[in-house]
Amino acid sequence: MWELFVEPWTMGAWMWRGTLAATLAAIPCALLGVFLYLRRMSLIADALTHVALPGIVAAFLLSGSVEPFTMLVGAAIVGVLASGAIEALADKGGVRSDAAIGIVFTAFFSIGVIALSVGVHDAHIDTACVLFGDVLGISNDSLILLGITAPVVCALVALFYRWLALVSFDKGLAANLGVPVALVHYGLMGAVSVTSVASFEAIGAILAIAMIVVPAATAHILCDRLPWMLVVACLHGVVSAVAGMYIAVWADVSAAGSIVCVGGALYGLAFLIAPRHGVLVRWWRKRSMDRPALPATSAPVVKGRIEPQPEVS
Amino acid sequence: MGAASLMTALEVAEIGARTVEFFSFKYAFVARALAASIMVGGLCGAVGTFLVLRRLSLMGDAAGHSTLPGICVAFLLAGSVSTLPIMAGALVSALLAAIVVGVISRGPRSRSDAAIGIVLSVFFGIGIVLLSHIQRVATTSYAGLDAMLLGNVAGISPEQLTALAVVTVVLGGATLLFLRPLSISTFDPSFAASVGIPVRAIHYALLGALSLSVVVSVQAVGVVLVSAMLIIPGASAVYWFKRMPGVLGTAVGLGALSGALGAWVSYIFEGVSTGPAMVLVATTFFLCSLGFGPRGGLLWRAVRRRERQRALVARADASTSASAYVEAGGGL
Repeated sequence: MWELFVEPWTMGAWMWRGTLAATLAAIPCALLGVFLYLRRMSLIADALTHVALPGIVAAFLLSGSVEPFTMLVGAAIVGVLASGAIEALADKGGVRSDAAIGIVFTAFFSIGVIALSVGVHDAHIDTACVLFGDVLGISNDSLILLGITAPVVCALVALFYRWLALVSFDKGLAANLGVPVALVHYGLMGAVSVTSVASFEAIGAILAIAMIVVPAATAHILCDRLPWMLVVACLHGVVSAVAGMYIAVWADVSAAGSIVCVGGALYGLAFLIAPRHGVLVRWWRKRSMDRPALPATSAPVVKGRIEPQPEVS
Repeated sequence: MGAASLMTALEVAEIGARTVEFFSFKYAFVARALAASIMVGGLCGAVGTFLVLRRLSLMGDAAGHSTLPGICVAFLLAGSVSTLPIMAGALVSALLAAIVVGVISRGPRSRSDAAIGIVLSVFFGIGIVLLSHIQRVATTSYAGLDAMLLGNVAGISPEQLTALAVVTVVLGGATLLFLRPLSISTFDPSFAASVGIPVRAIHYALLGALSLSVVVSVQAVGVVLVSAMLIIPGASAVYWFKRMPGVLGTAVGLGALSGALGAWVSYIFEGVSTGPAMVLVATTFFLCSLGFGPRGGLLWRAVRRRERQRALVARADASTSASAYVEAGGGL
C-alpha cells in the first residue's frame, strides 16, 4: 500500500517535475479564480483560457520562436484584447453578455486552431499538447515560466488584495473611494491570461477553466470570509494537483484530465457534506428541525400524540 | 516576382478546381458533407436563437463539452465507433450535464455562471481521462473519436447523416408548430405562465432539444466549437429583424450558409478542421450584422444619432433665445 504512494516519486524526475508544475499552475489559478467567481465572471475565465491559444500561435508566427516569454506577452495582449471585445460587444453592440463571451472566445479560438493547423509546423506546438497539456513531459522552459509567474501572481494578489476585495464586493464603493476600478479589472484579466498561458503546458487550454472555477466554487461553499476562501481554494488546487498526478500514474491516463476529475470530486463532496451549506447536511438539519427534538415547556401535540415532557435539569 | 505570381495563379486554379469538385456532388462523401453542414448550421441556428434570447447561450457550450465522456463510455461499452451507441452515449451525458447544471444552480451558495463552468470543465476532464485511456487500450480503431473534438464533416457516415436529418426535421417541425408558445415564453415568461403556457416544460424541452442537436452536430463541428454554431447565428439575426419569425429564419439561413461555406473552406485548404472554419464564416456574418444590421447595427445607430443631433441643432437655431437651445439638449 505504502509503495503505491512512494513508488511514483522514485520512478524518475518526471513525477517531481509534473507535480511541481501542476501545483505551480493550480495556486495562481485558484487565487485569481476566487475574485473572478465573486464578480460572477467565471465564464470570462473560460473565454480567456481559450483565447490564450491564438495569442501563443500569433506570437510564434510573428517572432518565429517558441521562447516562452514572447508567447506570454502575445497571449496577455490577445487576452486583454478579447476581454475588451467582450465588453464592447455587451456595452456598445447590444449583445447579451453571455452571448458576447460565447462569440468572442469561439471566434478567437477558431482563428488559433486554424493558424495552428495551417501556419505552424513545429513539434513544440502541436494541437493535442496545446489543448490538453503534457504535464508529464513538461519542458524546462515551461517549468521556469511557471516558477516565475506563480510567485509573481501571488505577490500581486497580496499587494492589491484590498483593491481586489473592494472591487469584487462593491464596485460602486470602490470607485467612490478612488480605487481605479477599470485598471483593477484589466489587471485581473491580464493576470488570468498570463496565468493560463503559463499553465498551458501543464493543463492545456480547455481544462484551465476547471483550475480557475472549481476551487473558488468549493471554497465558497466552505467559507464565509474572503481570506479563508483564498486559502481553501489554494488547498483545493494543490490537493487536486497532487491526487490527480497519482491517479494519472496509477491508471496511466491523462494527467490534466485526472487533476480536473479530482477537483470535481472534491467540489461534489463539499456540495454534499460541507458543514454549514452542504446539501445533505442541510437536509439532515431540516429533518431534525421538523421533528420536535427539544419540545417547549408545555407538552407539544404532534400528529395527535402526546410527547413525554423533557426533564429539565 | 514572376514566379510568385505564377504560383498564386496555380493556387487559384487549384482552389477553383477543388471548389467545382466540392459543389459538383461528384463524390458521395462530399455531397454528404455538404448536406450535413447545411443541416447542422440550420438546426443549431434555430435552437441557438432561443438559447441566445433566453440568456442560456453558454448552456450550449456546456452541452457541447459534456458529450465527450458519454461518447467515450459508449465507445468502451460498444467497442466500436458505430453511430447509434455513440449518439446515445453523447445524448445521455449531455442531458445529465443539463440536469447537474440545474442542481448546482439551485444548490448552496452557487452562481449559475460558475455552475456552467464547473459542469463543462469536469465533464470534459472526465472525457479526456477516458479518451486517454481509450488511446492506450483500444484494440479496434478509435480514429473517429479524435475527430469529435474539432469536427470532421467529411468523415460523416450515412447513419449519422440520417440521424441528423431526422433530428433536423423533427425539431424544425416542432419549432414551427410551437412557435407561438416558444416565443411568448421566451420574451415574457410570467405573462406566458399567466395564460397557461407550460413555461417549465418548455424550458426542459428546449434543453432536451439542445442536447439532441449538439449530439447530431458534433461530428461536423466538434464538441469544443458546437456552442459557436448555436450562439453566433442567433446573435447575428437579431440585428436584422424585430419579430420572431424573421429572426428565426435569418438565424437558420445564416447558420446553413456558414455551415456550407465552412465545409467548403475546409475542403479547399487541407488541414483545416471543419469546426473552426464554420465558426470563422459565422463570425464574419456576425461582424457584418453588427456593423450594418438595420436593428441596432453600429452604422445605423451612428446615422440615427447624427440625425437626432442635427435636428436638435436645427431646432436650437430656429429659436432665437439661447435658453431654448439649452433646453433642447445643449451642446452640439
